[in-house]
Amino acid sequence: MSETPWLEHQILVIVGTGGVGKTTVSAALGLEAARRGKRVLVLTIDPARRLGDALGIELGHEPHSIPGAVLRAAGIEASGEFVAMMLDTKQTFDDLVRRYSPDEEALERILTNPIYQNLTDALAGSREYSAMESLHQLHSAGEYDLIVLDTPPSSHALEFLDAPRRLTGFLQSDLLKLLFRPALALGRTGFRLFRFGSATVLRALEMVTGLGFLRAISDFLLAFESMLEGFTERARATEALLRDPICGFVLVVGPDPEQARRAEDFWKRLQQERVHLLGLVMNRVRTWPGRGRTPELGTAEAKQLTEQLTKELAKRDPGFEPEQAARELVATLTQQALLARRDAEVGARLEEAIGLSPEAVRKIPLFSEDVHALEGLRRMASHLFEEARDV
Amino acid sequence: MRVNEGLAALSQRRLLIVTGKGGTGKTTIAAALGLLSARQGIDTVVIELGETPLLPRLLSDDPATLQTDGGRDPIQLAPHLFTLRIVPEVALIEYLELQLRVRRIVNAVVRNKGFRRMLDAAPGWRALITLGKLWYLQSRMQGERPRWPLLIVDGPATGHGISFLSVPKVVLDSVQLGPLRRHTDWVQDLLQDPQRTLVLPVTLAEELPVSETLELCARMAGLGMTIGPVIANAVEPGPELPQLETVLSTLARLTPPARDAPLLDPELLRTCVEYRVRRSSLQRGFLKQLERGCGSSIVSLPYLVRAIENPASLAPLAKHLKRALAGWEMPA
Repeated sequence: MSETPWLEHQILVIVGTGGVGKTTVSAALGLEAARRGKRVLVLTIDPARRLGDALGIELGHEPHSIPGAVLRAAGIEASGEFVAMMLDTKQTFDDLVRRYSPDEEALERILTNPIYQNLTDALAGSREYSAMESLHQLHSAGEYDLIVLDTPPSSHALEFLDAPRRLTGFLQSDLLKLLFRPALALGRTGFRLFRFGSATVLRALEMVTGLGFLRAISDFLLAFESMLEGFTERARATEALLRDPICGFVLVVGPDPEQARRAEDFWKRLQQERVHLLGLVMNRVRTWPGRGRTPELGTAEAKQLTEQLTKELAKRDPGFEPEQAARELVATLTQQALLARRDAEVGARLEEAIGLSPEAVRKIPLFSEDVHALEGLRRMASHLFEEARDV
Repeated sequence: MRVNEGLAALSQRRLLIVTGKGGTGKTTIAAALGLLSARQGIDTVVIELGETPLLPRLLSDDPATLQTDGGRDPIQLAPHLFTLRIVPEVALIEYLELQLRVRRIVNAVVRNKGFRRMLDAAPGWRALITLGKLWYLQSRMQGERPRWPLLIVDGPATGHGISFLSVPKVVLDSVQLGPLRRHTDWVQDLLQDPQRTLVLPVTLAEELPVSETLELCARMAGLGMTIGPVIANAVEPGPELPQLETVLSTLARLTPPARDAPLLDPELLRTCVEYRVRRSSLQRGFLKQLERGCGSSIVSLPYLVRAIENPASLAPLAKHLKRALAGWEMPA
């Protein structure tokens, strides 16, 4: 595990399964870095419009700086700069296509292709690829001290690492070369050229899909093929960047047993990928608000407590039914204790399973207020970093 | 037994696609729904699309069911209750066999290195073949009746869910003729027919899941699909204290806790109650926003403390779901 403090990296990649609060954790990390004087970009892929609302901006494909006055109004004195950006997959791809197209004709051909227009999102790993691509581009531009990347919500946890490889592997496939290179030389897609491939396979495919589909696909691939070199080079550079020590990975997990189990697999796979793992953020942890350890409240204890409380309340001549109120109050207490214990157990089990040191695990309690407001992000940051606590 | 009209209306469909952001409890709700319809005597297949099988463990105590995972045919778990994990690669071979008929040619296609690499990255084919398999299952007949009257799909997480369900439209936009066009037309007809197919979004009463669900509802309408009940999961009930203010002020007058009864602490009780009140009103706000925005009725399920990992722990969720669905009506 990396020894460098989290915010001293140039890139933080925030990973985790869906629904664990990656976006808000990313924003909170960015905010804290800005408070410490860094120029920070938080790059999100999730269409988290509400995050933009909380930040007081229309979050879009262009980097957007949060004014100091807005931060100050939320009690944050930032000596750095906090910039947010919401990535648009289609636009990133359009940019890429513009950059790597050999000529106007190829550019036109791909931008008007129906498969390209509609399926950029569904193209294997395209969201992940465009995230990586943007990351690389923004990092090389060198405008920011720190870039926090909120990765796409994905059940295929590591798709974003595989994306460059898959996309270029595909474009370099023998089949493609066999099928489409001669067509390129001729300057147009000729279906006669299918005979260059394995005749049986192609005829079979054609029988299943019909001609139109193969034509649309082949046009699409043909156009992409012309940009292959640019894509491959970029993908290689991005992969290297992700394994560089300047880039640290943080795994976010919720206190749910199923999520914890998936987080464990995820962590192990990240280890195999040899990226620099910084630690774990356990988000939305229910805590015990009382002093000392979370009590174990069984039925007998709850009953006794209810009786005692009923007596105490009755003494005060409260003007409400004391027993019913006492029962409800104790139920609330029992529930809180139960949840706090459960979350603590899930956390402990996960920490042990992946063998983390205590300082590599940061816990954020479940807030009862709206955490997407700046104030909430600041509170979140204070749980992530000891030093931020007294702000 | 009293007729549960909401549940009956849902069970009369042929395909229910349960979708929602990861971590909302999609899988357990799909499983619970399957349990409920199977109990009505309807042969129900609960279908999953992930890389690891989750449903057999939720729906059956028999570990043997896991061994037949990922095949072509539904596996029976209980009376009227079946499961199937659709693996696109398996479904593709099945489809090619149906189309090409000659096994030798199918083998030549699937063993072709280039073809396999193409599959590795080709846009949307996994979604298309999966939807095709769903169509195929619902079209199977046993005598005069459908062999699989109800398919319940534990769908992909929202972001993926939208592109998953929009693949047929893209194919139809780009392919004019041929078997692929014809088969995709069938799939699209199934998806767009509210008598047969409903999408059931599962969400939490939290900010981001709610805004994603609203987006999902809008996009589904754009694809011509119909939203069924929107299921708000893990809703935390507020404390049942009608005179909350008076209770809190009385608590404030209690003496600090004695050493031997540290839990009888007015401060601790107040913190816990206020926390619960805030959480519950925060959630109610999100639910209202959801109700206003999605144009379908909301079905709320309470937060359940116990982790759901087997039939025994699934049963309480099914009970709550049944109760919550009773009032649901198919929108006109």
